[in-house]
Amino acid sequence: MSHFARRIRYVVKRLLQAIPIVLAIVILNFLLLQLAEGDAVDVLAGEAGSATPEYMAELRAKFGLDQPLPVQLAVYLKNVMFFDLGYSFRHEMPVSELILDRMMPTLLLMVATITLAVGFGIFLGLVAAMGLNTWRDTAISIFALITYATPLFWVGLMMIVVFSLNLRWFPTSGMENFAMFYEGWDRVWDIAHHLVLPTITLSLFYLALYTRLMRASMLEQAGQDYVTTARAKGVTENRIMFVHVLRNALLPVVTMAGVQVGALIGGSVIVESVFAWPGLGMLAFEALFSRDLNLLLGIFLLSALLVVAVNLVVDIIYSTLDPRIEVS
Amino acid sequence: MSLRNWAAAALCTLGLALGAVPADAQKAGGTFVYLVQPEPPSLASYLSTSGPIGLVAPKIYDGLFDYDNDLNIVPALAESYEVSEDGKTVTFNLRQGVTWHDGAPFTSADVQFTVMSVLKEVHPRGPNSFREVTSIDTPDDHTAVFNLANPAPYMLRALSAYESPMVPKHLLEGTDIRSSDLATSPVGTGAYKFVEWKKGQYIRLDKNENYWKPGLPYIERIVGRFIPDASTRTAAMENGEVMYGAYGAIPNIDAVRLRDTDGFSVTTDGYSMINPMALIEFNTTKAPFDNSAIRKAISLAIDREFLIENIWFGYGKPATSALSTNFAPTGLYKAGLPNYAAKADVAGAIAMLDAAGITPDANGIRATAVLDLIPYGEDWRRAGEYMKQAMSEIGISLELRYEDVPTWLKRIYADYDFEMNINYFYQLPDPVLGVHRHYGTDQIRQGTHFVNSSRYSNPTLDALLASGAQEASATKRAEIYGEVQDILAEDMPVVNLFEMQFLTVYNEKLKDHATSALGAYGPFDRAWLDE
Repeated sequence: MSHFARRIRYVVKRLLQAIPIVLAIVILNFLLLQLAEGDAVDVLAGEAGSATPEYMAELRAKFGLDQPLPVQLAVYLKNVMFFDLGYSFRHEMPVSELILDRMMPTLLLMVATITLAVGFGIFLGLVAAMGLNTWRDTAISIFALITYATPLFWVGLMMIVVFSLNLRWFPTSGMENFAMFYEGWDRVWDIAHHLVLPTITLSLFYLALYTRLMRASMLEQAGQDYVTTARAKGVTENRIMFVHVLRNALLPVVTMAGVQVGALIGGSVIVESVFAWPGLGMLAFEALFSRDLNLLLGIFLLSALLVVAVNLVVDIIYSTLDPRIEVS
Repeated sequence: MSLRNWAAAALCTLGLALGAVPADAQKAGGTFVYLVQPEPPSLASYLSTSGPIGLVAPKIYDGLFDYDNDLNIVPALAESYEVSEDGKTVTFNLRQGVTWHDGAPFTSADVQFTVMSVLKEVHPRGPNSFREVTSIDTPDDHTAVFNLANPAPYMLRALSAYESPMVPKHLLEGTDIRSSDLATSPVGTGAYKFVEWKKGQYIRLDKNENYWKPGLPYIERIVGRFIPDASTRTAAMENGEVMYGAYGAIPNIDAVRLRDTDGFSVTTDGYSMINPMALIEFNTTKAPFDNSAIRKAISLAIDREFLIENIWFGYGKPATSALSTNFAPTGLYKAGLPNYAAKADVAGAIAMLDAAGITPDANGIRATAVLDLIPYGEDWRRAGEYMKQAMSEIGISLELRYEDVPTWLKRIYADYDFEMNINYFYQLPDPVLGVHRHYGTDQIRQGTHFVNSSRYSNPTLDALLASGAQEASATKRAEIYGEVQDILAEDMPVVNLFEMQFLTVYNEKLKDHATSALGAYGPFDRAWLDE
């Protein structure tokens, strides 16, 4: 069997294995969410001021909340099978539409953050490892420690105070300038401008992690036998570092990045909230407090799928980085 | 477009040409960005009185009336009205030449449909506001005659765009009103037209070129922005990205700082028709709070001035009765009632508890209770912490409980599983609209939010409330509500804490935004930007 065909088979097998996992996640999420007191009707009626019990019963019937739990679960599962994520009664929109709408901002923030955090983290880790125990190493380690230990919301607010209020370089919040409603390239530029502060804030946190990981990983690899062999062969120090060690040291970093892509969807709630970034994290957060369970389940399902997909991609990247790791 | 619409458009243009625009320096144009917090669930102001809906919908829909800052009636869709001698017929003369945003003419049929089929049926407070309305006659397109079973003087105070928006019959008739698309793409007669709602970001409204007030509105575009974090809202205000935030969108702690910053102002105007009152509800069916003595003692032991000064930064007025002093102009408010202390009267409270036989045990504790806190912000937690402290001085040991909104609503209004609950109620422009629901026996409605959760029931009071609702004579009404307040001060089923003053923070470039008694829930048709 050719290498390529084996890889396809592997991907298909992994995807099939994912089905029961995702199903279990959906059922578990559904049951867990039932533990929360109150339902969407309570919230809607509470916000509306006074609402009659008849009206609330009517709403419950309309939302299907009057059905017994197993029936609600069965209906939900059946819909999910047909790629129908249901209807958000709070937003009066199909869940898939809501999620898609928020997908772009989330992906923008996620990709920008991962790129910046991983790229910069690898760079800093490399610099630190190459200058082990010099002032550079110490400075980078202290920087990583501080950014990791500082609460995200505080960093975000300080960013706003410094770069928006004092220097007036960047807008405080939002994804676009709503007084202008730019179009075309102006809009792209405007969105990029709004993206800077949230990306830096969110990256700072993850950056520390990658820096530490990269540094440790580089040091570990540098002590391996193959490095000694290479050195004995007369390979230059730079080549050892950048071709031999770096490639091997990247493996744990890639693993970590894979794990965190999933976490980034939900983990950016704080940054989304501080910068009023219209992403999925905020949507999930609000959905929880308004007991919009269809929407919440939809977001959970999406992140479960994303984690499964990213793990698969990571495994494939592994085999590229280190050909000894075979997909089978 | 019908001939009449053409005529209306022509008249508007003529008005503009003849210089109907006042001679002041009002400037036309510009985009006005303001805070809408939190993001509303829909824009169906005919279905829900939810606060954030009120921030947007009255700019799209009109009411029959608006109200000025002295609560006088200002004609809106109704140019004038007459009340018959016996108070049982109210005739509204509607404005001619008004069109909906989709071009259809606004007529008396819309008024009839709105009140009878929408507000009376599906609005949370409509069934109460219009409860005496038995039918509406429409002798012609511009006359609506309300036939009442009994006089309903309070009804004329409930006709604003926020409280009773006029909605288009031609878009709602024959549909399920509760699930109509109108909820997310509203069509009104108001100063601004709905354009777009980007979930999680903003709602955009553009100027209605065919607005029935000639020359208005001045502003070209209105954008309501959603910013979840309070500190960021303040920063956005400081940075000039938003120009207006009401109903505590900017927390008091930041508002007082902005108040002292150049270019920003703070006002408490624009809330007199909302009349928010902070209060404590009790479960009056269970010991020890079934005894009015302990409730009165609690009222005496609270230092209302301390609460206002330290937690609300001086914005508020100690409660002195079950009714707000905002009812003083209509004569309904009664001053000089007992059991309301502005400063804590600990000795008086202890004496009252002793007299009622609620005595301390070996640890000095007379009663223990859980105090639930309304989950609408940090201020209420601080208030809870103060209460815990203050109550310990009269031997009542409190435990605080802070839950999320659905859990809290269910606990207080569906399960009645509480002892004390700190909360606030809108008293609205008339006691019938906002206060009766808190005390009437018929308002013990399990599962309905913001009604009589104390389950206090007093037939004498019920009778007074019933006659107060129907009394047309202002002096007689004042007498009735005087008695109501005497009874409530004596029985104290609810301890009213203080009349809340919400703060509106605005950029001084924004002018003439506070021309309506409804403030942020108003039409904003005369607002303009000086930039």
